[in-house]
Amino acid sequence: MTFAERMLHIDRRIIFLVIGVCTLLPLLYPVGLAIKVSPEVRGVHDYIESLPEGSVFLLSMDFDPASKPELQPQAVALLRHAFKKNLRVIGMTLWVTGTGLADLVVSQAAQEMGKVNGKDYVFLGWSPGVGSLIITMGQDLYKAFPSDYNNQPTRELAVLKGIQTLRDVNYVVSLAAGTAGIESWYVYGKDKYKFELGGGCTGVIAPGLYPLLRSGQINGLIGGLRGAAEYETLIGQKGRAVAGMDAQSATHVAIIMLVILCNVFYLLIRTSRGQSGQPRG
Amino acid sequence: MPFETLLGAWVATGLTLFIFTFLYQDNPLFKLAEHLYVGVSVGYTIVKVYDTVIVRLLYEPMVNQGDWSLLVPLGIGMLMLARYFPKIAWLSRIAFAFIVGVGSGLAIPRIISSYILKQVEDTVRPLASLASGGGPTFTYNLLDPASNLNALVLLIGVVSVLFYFFFSIEHTGPVRVAARTGILFLMIAFGAAFGYTVMARMSLLIGRFTDLIEFADPRYGRATLWLLLATVATLIASGARRRDLRSCGTSSSLPSRSTMSSTSCSGTRPA
Repeated sequence: MTFAERMLHIDRRIIFLVIGVCTLLPLLYPVGLAIKVSPEVRGVHDYIESLPEGSVFLLSMDFDPASKPELQPQAVALLRHAFKKNLRVIGMTLWVTGTGLADLVVSQAAQEMGKVNGKDYVFLGWSPGVGSLIITMGQDLYKAFPSDYNNQPTRELAVLKGIQTLRDVNYVVSLAAGTAGIESWYVYGKDKYKFELGGGCTGVIAPGLYPLLRSGQINGLIGGLRGAAEYETLIGQKGRAVAGMDAQSATHVAIIMLVILCNVFYLLIRTSRGQSGQPRG
Repeated sequence: MPFETLLGAWVATGLTLFIFTFLYQDNPLFKLAEHLYVGVSVGYTIVKVYDTVIVRLLYEPMVNQGDWSLLVPLGIGMLMLARYFPKIAWLSRIAFAFIVGVGSGLAIPRIISSYILKQVEDTVRPLASLASGGGPTFTYNLLDPASNLNALVLLIGVVSVLFYFFFSIEHTGPVRVAARTGILFLMIAFGAAFGYTVMARMSLLIGRFTDLIEFADPRYGRATLWLLLATVATLIASGARRRDLRSCGTSSSLPSRSTMSSTSCSGTRPA
């Protein structure tokens, strides 16, 4: 067996180890590579930046703990920005399995920024239906959510004063790990009730959402941990996402190198088999 | 530090390490974490759905506010349960008919508007634009999604991919060229999607490693280090047991008690 053949039959656990080391080392010894902000992330940031104090910002955290590493940093960065701008924040989720996590994210960000539940922000929790829920919110917010996550009647909350339907919301951002998420908010919400919509998503579903961005159906898109790092850079509060970018770059370089090496070894084997008259394959 | 935070850190660290052990080989620790994940997810969902739907959206409005109109959706929902009784199973069709009817009525117009009309509108863009001076101009900036060159690329991509999925005529001559071009566009799209997927998976790994590093701190009782040691020790013990069983002539799976009793350790398989 030649060296190239041995390398192509390498124990896959060695590759796992390489990726693990490439991830761990930059996390322990960060380099601080530069982060360039993309126009799609800037779209969300600039819209929130343009909102006057007291505007209503609805953040729908449509993910569960499986997508926490990508979407929690996005949620934290967006909430910090909204609270810093003194916006009235409404939190909710379309994913029942993400309810506890979403509540934790909102309450921790609010506590950090000195905001009061019921006065500066509210977490509505989860309610069933997705499409019908969004349509009901577009007709009567209090019918969709008679009480918030803490069982407080929503009609009595100061933060919701003057808000009757989704038409009274200035900006909606859905952080989605799949369906239900950004597309549901567009199809059943924005297209009908004409509020402005932005999005954040996991890397896996980001390519499928670019058509919505290009056509103006959403005004910005934060994609994966990289998008979260860009948002953290924009608001000047570097957190977990920025800390992870060195590791992300290192693993990407490692994977690219592995792909190149595999192809080189494969071509070497094909060439040697061709020369010795053996069938290629 | 509150006890529940400390406990949460130890549980999260342990389960993360248990799941990671699958990268080495299948083992009982991985199975434990996997089954816990499924069980906890289902249990959590059942509790949240019961609390939100049955208690908050049905029971409380009916009993506390006297909103008895909710008996109508409750009744339609209850018809679903008729499927468990063969004699009245037909009643569940009423509930299904209601769901399909309302769902289709809500979704079809909205989806046609959002996914077809809006996307077609965005695809059909002018290939030349008017400059400030009044004459037609063509912009070449590939980085600008609104440039005329990108509009041309989009047009070629859409048309060629549609040709690739057009099976009513044989792909020969110009149609073959168009279909081949479509394959190129599809490959680029798949490559982009795969690149994003790799990025997403690496992000998940970074997220778990970040937590493991945080929980290695003395504030958390160095949970990561202690549990890593315990996990490695369990893997070694599990590996040793596997080797023993293999040398006794059994496969990697655990034998039954009767097989064990009839198995000799001479290195031969039992008859």
